Amino acid sequence: MLEIRWHSRAGQGAVTGAKGLADVISTTGKHVQAFAFYGSAKRGAAMTAYNRVDEEIIMNHEKYMEPDYVFVIDPALVYTSDVTINGKEDTKYIITTHMSTDELIASQPKLKGKEVYTVDCIKIAQETIGRPIPNTPMLGAFMKISGMYDIEFFKESMVRILGKLPQKIIDANMIAIQRAYDEVK
Amino acid sequence: MANTGWDEFEIGAMLRTFEGSIDDIAGTLQEDRKYTENSSFSASVADWRIEKPIFAKDYCIDCQFCWIYCPDISIISRDKKMIGIDMDHCKGCGICVEVCPTNPKSLLMFPEQADEETEIAQWPAKETKEK
Amino acid sequence: MAFDKMELRDIEVWDGNFAAAQALRQCQIDVVAAYPITPSTPIVEGYAKFLADNYVEGEFVMVESEHAAMSGCIGAAAAGGRVATATSSQGFALMVETLYQASGMRLPIVLNVVNRALAAPLNVNGDHSDMYLGRDSGWIQFDSYCPQDAYDLNFIAFRVAEDHDVRLPCMVHQDGFMTSHTAQGVHTMDDDTAYSFVGDFKPMNDMLDFEHPVTHGVQTEEDWHFEHKARQHNDLMTKVMPKIQAAFDDFKTLTGREYNIVERYDMDDADVCVVCMGTSVETAREVALEMRAKGIKAGVVGIRVVRPFPFFEIQEALKDVKAIAALDRSAPGGAPGMLFNEIAGCLFNTDTKALLSGYIYGLGGRDLTKKHLVDLFTELQANVDAGKVLTPLQQFIGVRGPKLQFL
Repeated sequence: MLEIRWHSRAGQGAVTGAKGLADVISTTGKHVQAFAFYGSAKRGAAMTAYNRVDEEIIMNHEKYMEPDYVFVIDPALVYTSDVTINGKEDTKYIITTHMSTDELIASQPKLKGKEVYTVDCIKIAQETIGRPIPNTPMLGAFMKISGMYDIEFFKESMVRILGKLPQKIIDANMIAIQRAYDEVK
Repeated sequence: MANTGWDEFEIGAMLRTFEGSIDDIAGTLQEDRKYTENSSFSASVADWRIEKPIFAKDYCIDCQFCWIYCPDISIISRDKKMIGIDMDHCKGCGICVEVCPTNPKSLLMFPEQADEETEIAQWPAKETKEK
Repeated sequence: MAFDKMELRDIEVWDGNFAAAQALRQCQIDVVAAYPITPSTPIVEGYAKFLADNYVEGEFVMVESEHAAMSGCIGAAAAGGRVATATSSQGFALMVETLYQASGMRLPIVLNVVNRALAAPLNVNGDHSDMYLGRDSGWIQFDSYCPQDAYDLNFIAFRVAEDHDVRLPCMVHQDGFMTSHTAQGVHTMDDDTAYSFVGDFKPMNDMLDFEHPVTHGVQTEEDWHFEHKARQHNDLMTKVMPKIQAAFDDFKTLTGREYNIVERYDMDDADVCVVCMGTSVETAREVALEMRAKGIKAGVVGIRVVRPFPFFEIQEALKDVKAIAALDRSAPGGAPGMLFNEIAGCLFNTDTKALLSGYIYGLGGRDLTKKHLVDLFTELQANVDAGKVLTPLQQFIGVRGPKLQFL
């Protein structure tokens, strides 16, 4: 079982990202689950989304999760919420920030001793898509860190999932995914 | 219907108006329609009445006011001519008399036991209004 | 036909709401009268979008309340259409008055209920309060455990509801957010196969049959009311279950997916079991397997048909087990939980010596964790070892503060 927790703000596309990732993985024959905690959250409120991936059918519906990966797609959430909660020894963190990994860990001591990767998904999204929607770049970074799929296969799959959007937006997303794949450290 | 069991009627809170099918309701006179016993048309409410209307045809101008205003659809009219009262469904409310515009009125209320021919024979005369 | 068909992949990653919306499209619903409420809104939004995009031929009626939504559905169903809607929580509560009208009038409406807590305090998350509120309304109630079930049970619901021997409305329940907003793989049917399972709508006593005029929604008083309710109860008790089983059988032949009136998992040799509904069934199945690795023979019984209540099927499922936990996800309001009471009623007068205890859990969407279930199975095994229930008969799981237990 592979488990992922997303830290996001409502409106940044974590749910869409989690469902998109589940969709891609599902096409390779694995079982998937994607869900989120909403409450009555308004745009901008901190929220979490989740992925589960397994070879077997997934029956576990508990919200409690000890994630293998934590994605933080908003830079402030590292400080305002505990992104390490229920973490395991080997949990990997992919965090959106303008800082280097060392600078980030220095600014948030909770990350000390953890396997932390950084990438500026907000900047990438703004420069490619033109809006601060950091969900698809995060998936590009995840492909690099996890080595889950070949990046070209992943991008092709995302073209299908984003199918209803204008071509210009799809193209921009592909550039964003590739940039995050290349830039994550 | 008094002893109809729970398993003997059709399901749902529904009742049929007619036995079998009907293909031209508007063009079929009431007396020619096959109403079911569940239709209110099959039930007489004549005994609710303590006064009854009597119709004096000589004074009627077929204005149809009584037909329009009767709350129990008990004024029988054919080809826009008033021909009488459905005494099975008239409850004796007197609205037809109130709305009748002729002078004297073509409809008047009488005790249930009054004799129709006698009352028509001694129908009130035209009222003259004082100027 | 005048509408377009949609190409689906064999497995689509859908949440429970979208799965239900797709089922409504494939059943070609004539009328949806709806009012939005979290978390059920995407079901009727989905239908409306399919309608706007010409994937379905029908009518979407926007109304001013859930009471009006169900009233519109009743009118459309009495007129002779295939009718569905969706609601949750307070919306369901506002619908209650009309739910009794729909079932008493024997109208085959399908209502997707995305289960959500009832205020106060206001809460949009999932528990079974609204499902429990509807349990005496004379509707058939199906319960989904995952998005796949939410898709499949809609087809089964229409098949059963519209059967002329049944003619009762059906609710298809799914857990708010835990199913409705959780995307998982859903095995789909193509449009023609899906439609063939429900078939063309066959009207009965419809108001649009001008050659056979009917009055719907008549008044009875002390004279006939009891006979009508007796007939409805008789049909729920005697006619519905065989039709549901037949629909399950046909559905399995068509798709390979098996549903049972009462679902039994690892029950053949189980010493201890939990009886529950919704997503909890699947989580409990996973934990039961893990308990078996630890030497506790655990099983799970899931209620698939909540109403009519599967009295004999429950008796059969629980006849050999030694300790049973009834899990109720609804505040019982000064009583044992519904499942506790129903199960006790099933087992009373039988030869079973099973120990029955009740648990209240998950109110307002509170997480039911695997750890909770491990503790629960362990507690049941302790009851078996002691030969008696060692705890009070009603316990609360996962609530803050001192241990809460009664009876």
